[in-house]
Amino acid sequence: MKNLTPRKISLLLLAAFGLLIIAATLVAIRFVRDESRVYQIGHLREHLQTIGQEVAENLDAGDPDSFEFLEISARIQRENENYSYVLRDSSGMILSPSFVAGKQIKMENIRPLKHDGSAFVADIWGARCLVVIWPFPDRPLELLGIYDNSYIFDDVHLTTGAFLVLLSTVFAILLLLSWFWIIPALERMYARRDKAERELQNARTLQQKAVTQAFPLDPRFDVYAVLQPMKEVGGDIYRCGMLDGKLLFVIGDVSDKGTEAAFMMFLVIGFMRTRVKIGVDLGELMGEVNGLICDNPDFEMFCTLFLGCIDPDTMEMVYCNAGHTRTLVDGEFLDQDPQLIAGIQPGFRYHTQRLQLRPGARLLLYTDGVTEARNPERAFFGEERLQAWMRERPAAASCEEDCRSLLETLDAFRGSARQNDDIAIMSIRIR
Amino acid sequence: MKTEIKQQEGMTLITVQGELDTDTCIEFQQKTAPVAEVPGAKVELDLSALDYISSKALRIIISLEQRVAEHGGSLTITAVSAPVREIFDMTGLSQTMLADCKNKTTKE
Repeated sequence: MKNLTPRKISLLLLAAFGLLIIAATLVAIRFVRDESRVYQIGHLREHLQTIGQEVAENLDAGDPDSFEFLEISARIQRENENYSYVLRDSSGMILSPSFVAGKQIKMENIRPLKHDGSAFVADIWGARCLVVIWPFPDRPLELLGIYDNSYIFDDVHLTTGAFLVLLSTVFAILLLLSWFWIIPALERMYARRDKAERELQNARTLQQKAVTQAFPLDPRFDVYAVLQPMKEVGGDIYRCGMLDGKLLFVIGDVSDKGTEAAFMMFLVIGFMRTRVKIGVDLGELMGEVNGLICDNPDFEMFCTLFLGCIDPDTMEMVYCNAGHTRTLVDGEFLDQDPQLIAGIQPGFRYHTQRLQLRPGARLLLYTDGVTEARNPERAFFGEERLQAWMRERPAAASCEEDCRSLLETLDAFRGSARQNDDIAIMSIRIR
Repeated sequence: MKTEIKQQEGMTLITVQGELDTDTCIEFQQKTAPVAEVPGAKVELDLSALDYISSKALRIIISLEQRVAEHGGSLTITAVSAPVREIFDMTGLSQTMLADCKNKTTKE
């Protein structure tokens, strides 16, 4: 076999194990059979007395003339047993008291088992019955017993044997199934998973590349941002840069994960870059981005976005919000109009808002992974905690320190609970 | 999270209870997907017992609305809880999606 994978090796081992079970079962059944024969002889002896007694009573009570007994010289050559007789009445029926529950055995159903006539076989209900007669010296015609092979099916040993046979049959079926169906299916599944893993890895790289950037080295601004995706790839984005001496920034959350989301992020960021250079109004730009996403309905994606531009000369911030979380400015939530998330309604008109910033203003932008972080009691981190955190930040702290501190605060809040969404944080400070 | 779908007087009533988070919204998506396939379906979505809705779940509801519309039907959100309304407000969706919600309540 050229493709001997670990899975196939384990299957072969399993098969060998199964064969071993089957072999063991067969051996066990042989022993069981032998044992049951021994048991039956003992069993027979137990019954001899009782049945003999019953027949004797019957003969005493009933009319002995109605029976015509035919003696067949039969002999059981075992230990002290001497002669065996088959008992037959005048109608040619074999009498089989109690042991066969009142059924009568027809003579023609009785076949000699041994040539010397020591044992006979009869058919009762399809089961093989050995009929033997035991002679007492003083009562030569007493019926002594009927040897019923069928009872061995109730025997505990045989039940075990049958169970083992059943088990090995099921095992064999499973083996066949796994070889022809389960293993190939598993292999296909693994192949798919590997492929999905590769895709995810690609998307992760894409996403990281999309957000990895050199933060503007403009002396008037301190900017820092972090992205902490869940274990899978997320759709959180951010980007910032200087344009004509102004700081332009965007943060967003694409409503999907994986390669498509990462791809859409690139598309949106690339598009915005081009348009921003031309000097488009932010509201208008947002409308165009919305149109871009709506034009690609196959992506089935929506995107919350917050676009902002700060002019350090006038200290004015213009911004446009498309359904994104509320930005914090100096510990207060920014007044941002709730405009529709991008990608839902083509032609939606977004408008730009303005805010006069004070010197040294600090801004915190984030995605909903921050406010919707949960602790083990399922409580949300929420806007209040975020606001409280920001208010406690020392004024001298750098934006990088802010981002790290918030991530740590979130980790502490989350405790043993796992991260349930991507987290993107962008901190901006005007120097 | 509990999703109930009932057929009543030609309408499909969907009631969601609990929290529609990143994990439970998958179940919601699977349960509600067939609803959108019925041509001309009149779907009513009751979110009054919903305590939380994640952005992913929001997307699923929007997709559902779009799919229903594609098949010539309509999806109306008849009621929302306070925390869910907050999310709809923040994302600007209340103007479009909850407009029907208000109409519905004033009619009754």
